[in-house]
Amino acid sequence: MTARTTLILVLLCVAGRLSAAGVTLPAAERIVLDNGTVLILNEKRDVPMVGIQAMLRGGAVTDPDGKSGLSSLYASLLEKGAGDRDAAAFAEAVAAVGGNLSAGAALESISISGDFLARDAGLMVELLADMLRRPKLDRAELDKLKRRSINLLLAAKDGDPRNLVPVYANAFLFGDHPYGSPTDGSEASLATITARDIARYHEQQVGGDRLVIAVSGYFDIAAMRERLTAAFGDWRPASAELPDLAAPERVAGNRVLLVNKPGATQTYFWIGNIGVAFDYPERAALDLANTVFGGRFTSLLNTALRVESGLTYSASSALRRPSKPGSVAISSYTQTDATVEAIDMALDVLDRFRADGVPADAAASARNYLLGRFPTQLETATQLAAQFATLELYGLGRDYIDAYGDAVAAVTPESVKLVINAVYPARDDLVFVLLGDAEAIRDTIVRYGSVTELSITEPRFLPQE
Amino acid sequence: MERPGGFDETMALMTELRRRNVLKVAFVYVVAAALLYWLAVVLQTQLEMPWWASRFIGIVLLVGLPVALIFAWVYEFTPGGLRKAIEVDQTQSIVFKTGQKLNAALAVLVVLGAVAMVADRLLPELAVVPPPPVPERVFEKPSGNKVPAEIRSFTLDNGLKIIVWPDHDIPNVAMYNFVRAGGRNEYPGITGLAHFFEHMMFNGTSRREPGEFDRIMEAAGGFNNAYTSNDVTVYTDWFARSALKTIFDLESDRLSNLAFVPDVVESERGVVTSERHSSIDNDNSGRLYEQMMATTYIAHPYQFPIIGWPSDIASWTQDDLQRFYKTYYAPNNYTMVFAGDVTPDEIYTLADKYFAGIPRQKPPAPVRTVEPEQQGVRRLTIEAPAQTPLLHMAFHAGSASDPVTLPLELLLNILVDGDSSRLHRLLVEEQQIAVSVDGFQSEGFDPGVAYFYLTLPPDGDVDAAEGAVMRVLADVAANGVTEAELAKARNIMLANYWRDIATIDGKASALGNYQVFNGSYEKLFNLPGTLEAISHDALKAAAARVFRPSNVTVGVLLPVEESAE
Repeated sequence: MTARTTLILVLLCVAGRLSAAGVTLPAAERIVLDNGTVLILNEKRDVPMVGIQAMLRGGAVTDPDGKSGLSSLYASLLEKGAGDRDAAAFAEAVAAVGGNLSAGAALESISISGDFLARDAGLMVELLADMLRRPKLDRAELDKLKRRSINLLLAAKDGDPRNLVPVYANAFLFGDHPYGSPTDGSEASLATITARDIARYHEQQVGGDRLVIAVSGYFDIAAMRERLTAAFGDWRPASAELPDLAAPERVAGNRVLLVNKPGATQTYFWIGNIGVAFDYPERAALDLANTVFGGRFTSLLNTALRVESGLTYSASSALRRPSKPGSVAISSYTQTDATVEAIDMALDVLDRFRADGVPADAAASARNYLLGRFPTQLETATQLAAQFATLELYGLGRDYIDAYGDAVAAVTPESVKLVINAVYPARDDLVFVLLGDAEAIRDTIVRYGSVTELSITEPRFLPQE
Repeated sequence: MERPGGFDETMALMTELRRRNVLKVAFVYVVAAALLYWLAVVLQTQLEMPWWASRFIGIVLLVGLPVALIFAWVYEFTPGGLRKAIEVDQTQSIVFKTGQKLNAALAVLVVLGAVAMVADRLLPELAVVPPPPVPERVFEKPSGNKVPAEIRSFTLDNGLKIIVWPDHDIPNVAMYNFVRAGGRNEYPGITGLAHFFEHMMFNGTSRREPGEFDRIMEAAGGFNNAYTSNDVTVYTDWFARSALKTIFDLESDRLSNLAFVPDVVESERGVVTSERHSSIDNDNSGRLYEQMMATTYIAHPYQFPIIGWPSDIASWTQDDLQRFYKTYYAPNNYTMVFAGDVTPDEIYTLADKYFAGIPRQKPPAPVRTVEPEQQGVRRLTIEAPAQTPLLHMAFHAGSASDPVTLPLELLLNILVDGDSSRLHRLLVEEQQIAVSVDGFQSEGFDPGVAYFYLTLPPDGDVDAAEGAVMRVLADVAANGVTEAELAKARNIMLANYWRDIATIDGKASALGNYQVFNGSYEKLFNLPGTLEAISHDALKAAAARVFRPSNVTVGVLLPVEESAE
């Protein structure tokens, strides 16, 4: 044994004590109703609140061609009147007791989440059941909602560009694959959605066989089980099958989408490719790798682009992991005239990361960082309800949470190195999405690949073919 | 032996090195040094020695290696004592015996090392020394009977106030440090300095390189953030329980030893400029808000953008930074809150160790300027590339501790919170003259604003929207709200109260805000009772005081055609 390895071993012993993965999912009761609806109930009596998360399998990936945003509009419409209450009465019923209950669509699900004071748990279940089983789906409300959704997209285009870059990026990266469809729709696609589309969606894509409900908080399990069983046990199934999605193919070569926002003083960039799915077996090693690369303040990307050069307020990397491979990407922004400098720097960091992997000290630090943050995701009733429902939706066991700490602790430099080279694309295979003042950067960015240009005022997120 | 060393010479040297036990000494030394270093690291934690102690020992041990080797080469043990090796008669030499002794020593050391490692892994609890008990009298007695029994607070002699809310649900801790320095402490030339300072507090001390603060914290299982408002700068750390001492060390270091490295200051100007571009210049709503505050206030420093005017960001100096640091970054200007897996005793012990020695500073000069009464409606317009017009309206209101503030909070719930609120229902759902309407009240040390912001459809009529808002507000001022509306607003605030304190983060934030802005953290726990006691008339009076036409600033952002290039 050399002096160096001895010292490192000694240091690791000392550092090892710092890790604290000391949380597991609390006990919960799981019930499968006859129609396939799954209930997960967890009592947690620290504050007098009860949190609920209902998830319907399906979501934006079921939106028909040209009608992206249908799931999202449908979900929003659930809040606009249900059971005996019209839109105003429904909103009043929730707010009158200080409750929250809101519906929205994600890529692969529709979620209704909320929390109420413990004394209103009965009302909460009644409102949820009305939303899911007896929504009014009123035509006038739909028209209003549609107009408003379009206007909110226009307003978002006038707002902070950081919010919209990922939408353009998904559209450009995934193309025709359902993962490329903007979850909230585009101005153009929303305009085509009719009351008939909504009615058909309700019949085909919504039903008891698609439903998971998780409740956590201050309530009595037996009473809640009874309530939910009575409310959902006899709900019909959705008439359509869930779509069988193909795995998106990784993009070979380089291409660039330039979104023109005239007068923008910064260029916002997103650089990525196809990544991995939620069930990627080396999840812990990948989380550790991404923490080091762009997942925290001292990451390689943020250190280079922000801390050491002051080119940006933030540089990061993120993975989106749905049921089939999603995206892996770098994002940042910088003053217009530093566009090429910042992008080149990000690419250099990527090269180095792929070549060098993660040094031992960075790995130890990232491990502690991940383990230290982990418990804060399992703190409140609403967080727990969301965790339980998501695990169920993706068919994952409790080990996904409970064994995570040990998996992170067991990551080796070799496994990280393998993961980096498998997941993070090389410089030659990258999709670039840039949002900024095209006039000022159009000519300099051709170096990154063939450029497709689109105005931010176009009512869609990809140029029309 | 005049020729340069060839193979034979090298071999001869190796043989001699081996004969004189130099290699064995090297092995024994390295293993023993590693053990000693490990012991030093452990003892440093146990005995609370200064941070550099183990590093110092490490350096001494490293320097000692060549010394030991030279010693081993030059000297030799003989039955007659220590002699120079070249003076020892080879036939009398006992180097072989010495070698055997060294082998034995090496074996013993390796075994000791193995035992130490196993002990370190298997018996981690041995490493935790319980803090000495702290006498109960150091803790201040909470006022009010609603305060949870486990909460403690204390104030060090230098004026540092610390509040502790133990909660052992998860093995984590949330720390909020409220520094009484914000936009209101600025003047022309240094606008944005409080916010810039928030950045500089992460950029190195005389003890630590720029960036080390974050590296150490993240490596210990913690992460951090900070925000600056008109009134305060708040630093937040969230961390695994095991990092508690590290956090104290880091926080006390940046309170006493902050460095202002010129290169880093310049680089950080770039970071803040980028932040400004994203949150203001490239965000129409941010642009309008900045102009609104600059118009609503003509005298009081709430008129400055928190991030600073671009010319000030570009030009503040080292002197400005030094002065700001000395004035505002003082223990008597701090309020720290710890919520989570901690005990008041251990927080007191650590605070005493890491903060008690930092001297108190002269309290900052009070902000004297009082905003004069507004004498009529003020208007401003921005023309910008846009697809949707914006309408913002600001009314002068009260400070955090003003009795008007809680009734006004309830009123704002009734007016803009959720789809059932009055303004949303009328403007967005019924008349559809707005795409969204929101509002908030700023609650600071000095009188703030009640603020409404609306997004209009592309062809929207800003005058019609303004008229509709003013009519709703006038109606509330004249007729009050309904009983059902008041009950709803109470329930929303009660549920939000519970939502806030469901997390250690929310607990630390709520306690700190009440302590700093309302003078006592204990008042937080009166909220459910206070809500019940607020009358219908209090809401009506609040509306009548604040929602006057002569008290409003109206700002609009109107789309202009892009120049056709």
